[in-house]
Amino acid sequence: MRFRLPQRFNLVSTILWGLRIVVAVLVLAGSWATLSSGKLTPDAWRELIVFGIAQGSVYGLIALGYTLVYGVLFMINFAHGDVFMTGAMTAFFVARNFGESGFINANPIVALLIIFAVSMLTSMLVAIVLERIAYRPLRRAPRLVPLITAIGASLFISNSIRGIYGEQSQSYPSVTALQGRLDLFGIPILKTQALVIASAIVLMIALVYFVERTRTGRAMRAVSEDKDVAALMGINVDRIIVTTFAVGGLLAGAAGVLYALVFNEVDWFMGFLPGIKAFTAAVLGGIGNIAGAMVGGLTLGVLESVGPFLLLGGANVPSPNQLRDVIAFTVLVLVLIFRPNGILGRSEPGR
Amino acid sequence: MAELISGRQLRRVATIGAVAAVVVLYLCMVGLVEAFKDRNVVTGVITLGAVMLLAVPLIAGYRAALPARDPSGPTPGPAQRIVFGLLVGLIAGAVLGVFVLIASAVDVRGVLVRISPPLLAFISFGLPSGLAQLAITGVGGLVGALGALLLVSPARIRNAVTSGLVAVLFMSMIEPLLRPRLEQLDYTAISDFLYKAHGLTEMASILCFVVGAGAALLWQPGNELVRRSIEAAPVQTRRRIRGWTIAVLVVAVLILPQVSGTFLAQVAVLVGLYLLLALGLNIVVGYAGLLDLGYVAFFAVGAYLTALLTSPDSSLGIGLPFFVALPIVMLGAGMTGLLIGAPVLRLRGDYLAIVTLGFGEIARVLFESDALRPWLGGVQGILGIPSPFPVRIDLQLGTTHIFATGPQVLYYPIFAFCALAAVFAYRLSNSRIGRAWNAMREDESVAEATGVSTVNYKLLAFALGATTGCLSGALFAVQLGSVFPGSFDVFVSITVLAVIILGGMGSIPGVILGAIVLIGLPELLREFVEYRILVYGAVLVAMMLLRPEGLIPNRGRQRELHEAESEEEEETLDGDLMPQRGQT
Repeated sequence: MRFRLPQRFNLVSTILWGLRIVVAVLVLAGSWATLSSGKLTPDAWRELIVFGIAQGSVYGLIALGYTLVYGVLFMINFAHGDVFMTGAMTAFFVARNFGESGFINANPIVALLIIFAVSMLTSMLVAIVLERIAYRPLRRAPRLVPLITAIGASLFISNSIRGIYGEQSQSYPSVTALQGRLDLFGIPILKTQALVIASAIVLMIALVYFVERTRTGRAMRAVSEDKDVAALMGINVDRIIVTTFAVGGLLAGAAGVLYALVFNEVDWFMGFLPGIKAFTAAVLGGIGNIAGAMVGGLTLGVLESVGPFLLLGGANVPSPNQLRDVIAFTVLVLVLIFRPNGILGRSEPGR
Repeated sequence: MAELISGRQLRRVATIGAVAAVVVLYLCMVGLVEAFKDRNVVTGVITLGAVMLLAVPLIAGYRAALPARDPSGPTPGPAQRIVFGLLVGLIAGAVLGVFVLIASAVDVRGVLVRISPPLLAFISFGLPSGLAQLAITGVGGLVGALGALLLVSPARIRNAVTSGLVAVLFMSMIEPLLRPRLEQLDYTAISDFLYKAHGLTEMASILCFVVGAGAALLWQPGNELVRRSIEAAPVQTRRRIRGWTIAVLVVAVLILPQVSGTFLAQVAVLVGLYLLLALGLNIVVGYAGLLDLGYVAFFAVGAYLTALLTSPDSSLGIGLPFFVALPIVMLGAGMTGLLIGAPVLRLRGDYLAIVTLGFGEIARVLFESDALRPWLGGVQGILGIPSPFPVRIDLQLGTTHIFATGPQVLYYPIFAFCALAAVFAYRLSNSRIGRAWNAMREDESVAEATGVSTVNYKLLAFALGATTGCLSGALFAVQLGSVFPGSFDVFVSITVLAVIILGGMGSIPGVILGAIVLIGLPELLREFVEYRILVYGAVLVAMMLLRPEGLIPNRGRQRELHEAESEEEEETLDGDLMPQRGQT
């Protein structure tokens, strides 16, 4: 059976160019149609953008977990979205308890701190166990093997939570102190959104401090450069890798509570889409790059919230918001195809 | 204690015991025990829920009795090992006992929804607290010791006991299949002897155990002999043996729906659809080494194209006959494969996986969206797809009378397509193209350097995989008579991936086995449906950890996956933690 494809076959570049042109035309035509129709008021646009930033900060926090692990192990921890979900789901029971006893409104700061702590510790624990059982034995296996394990682990975690906590979605109690708006430089922002953005900034600064200034952070960077040499320098590589997972888990846990505050609802499947989107954000910003994860998260959040209305609203597409996931995934596909190093990524050959 | 068990051994026993305890608690909390606690294995004696719980200390006891990997320590004697098993079982039992005590004192159902009073009563054998804890711990210890005893006993006995137990379990699991058929064919006496209240009777279970154990005892020396003589035989003989095996299997598959009745035929149709998908994905993942997580997109495209072209109710409304539409569908599918494949081919393995996952989700969202509703029907989907196959077949061939209805009719075309795809894939893997894929999978740069056009071969793999997936989609649409976007979620991709991984990437017999085990078995265990994805996840993890080449490995693939073994040795030594057993 002889089969030969023509050697100079430019189908791929043709398709890629076609894709570029189609996307450019769609974006331009869609935005033009929307902007000229004037369907949305400037206030509505601002609302969308602020919402996008809040949502983007959550994505950014999850994306940090992907980026940290990728930076150290060069693997995509596909189950990270479920680490995020576990924290939010577990903290829900604490939150519900506080809500029923009225503690959450009597003492909102303490209550929220406890909820955060529970969520972060749960996620951290899950991340550590995950690394220990699923990833450590496979550290030297071919690249696809840990990825398949990660997919399996993701399904296993989410479906375990579904079995253990039940499959109906739960809503977090609302906090009176977080209702209403805050006036920030003349822009009214929902208080929850302000809290989400502020917490993300604080956590981000803490993380940068941890990675850049502490001993463990330096060891982490060393392991990321070269595991074997780091080991020769007396760094316990296994411990550093676990620490990386733990830090990623902590951030994901915090993101879980923030997500619950913004969207109010949590369920066992909530880790899947934010997980993929956060991965998109990490890639968008340049995977392995801490600042990039946050930049990517914010960019993706805004694109996702503004995009459907901007691109499709003018074209009279019914319920454009249904297509927001399509926008997110299209961004993912386009970034990976045309700029796999991301916005802030170093260009590294062979990736 | 110091003489009986060294500090290191004690630590090991404690670790295994703790893991067993966690697994037992997990099984209770996740609801598996509850789901199976009323499914009889041996009616009045033991239920599947109990089997599941008892399997944990059994395996843990066995595991604890295994000789330690560290050769420097003292080698424990048989009695000592049984003590290890006993201790492990006691730990697991004690923890479960304490858990039951807490759960019956405090109501935990607000958080752990599955911990219901009936479940607690089931675990504690209906005994009051205190006694129950003693009983649970005792049973745990006993079963753990049995597990250790199994390891200590000679291999022949071990195998006999294991296969006896497996035989009992198997016979009770096929009850929903076997009993209705036996009754239909008027073998009520046999079915009454075998089954009572959806479980085996005591007599039948003893019989099954004896037959299973006896068969293993008798078969074992012969088995070795047969294998050795096959290996010693010349290539032609071996090939002939293989040919005969395949022929026998084909005949078995052909007469299966005639013997088994509609239920099994229905299950077989489902297995066939997934098998077709798996054969297609196997080309992409197994041969070309591209991890495609959005395979469901092709399945969906096939189903929707078929629906659009053949259903008179669709937006096109042309109502083509199925076999006219099929080539168009396959062509369209191939084009979709190229279109999706072309942009992503330059990506590295794990990025490719995520991007294809993204494509799969895009496809689903688009099919579901209101924006495309006028064409694709939105959430309601497309109805009224006519079936090209007759509703019933009634044939008189000589003395044999062939009669088939519903799923039994669809069974044959699906089987034919599967066979076609399998032969095609097999021939492909041994062709020039297959070798190019092999080279590409093992080392892309080297393949490129030796003149393999990697981009074209990757595209070819994508297109062929897409065509096969579409074929399955087309048959799926015909089988259901309608398509809904809800049928095309990411879990289809994951299921197909699990089938390939379980069977063995790149191995056609493996894929067939994987489809039967992962698609067929859950249909027999109806209680299981909710836990299917959980089990698939566990299968993916467990296979990658324990046997990445799959149950029936493809030789080349096996070598690749064990290349790094020697380097890995020291790493796995400290990675000796019991894998999650909660799922088996």
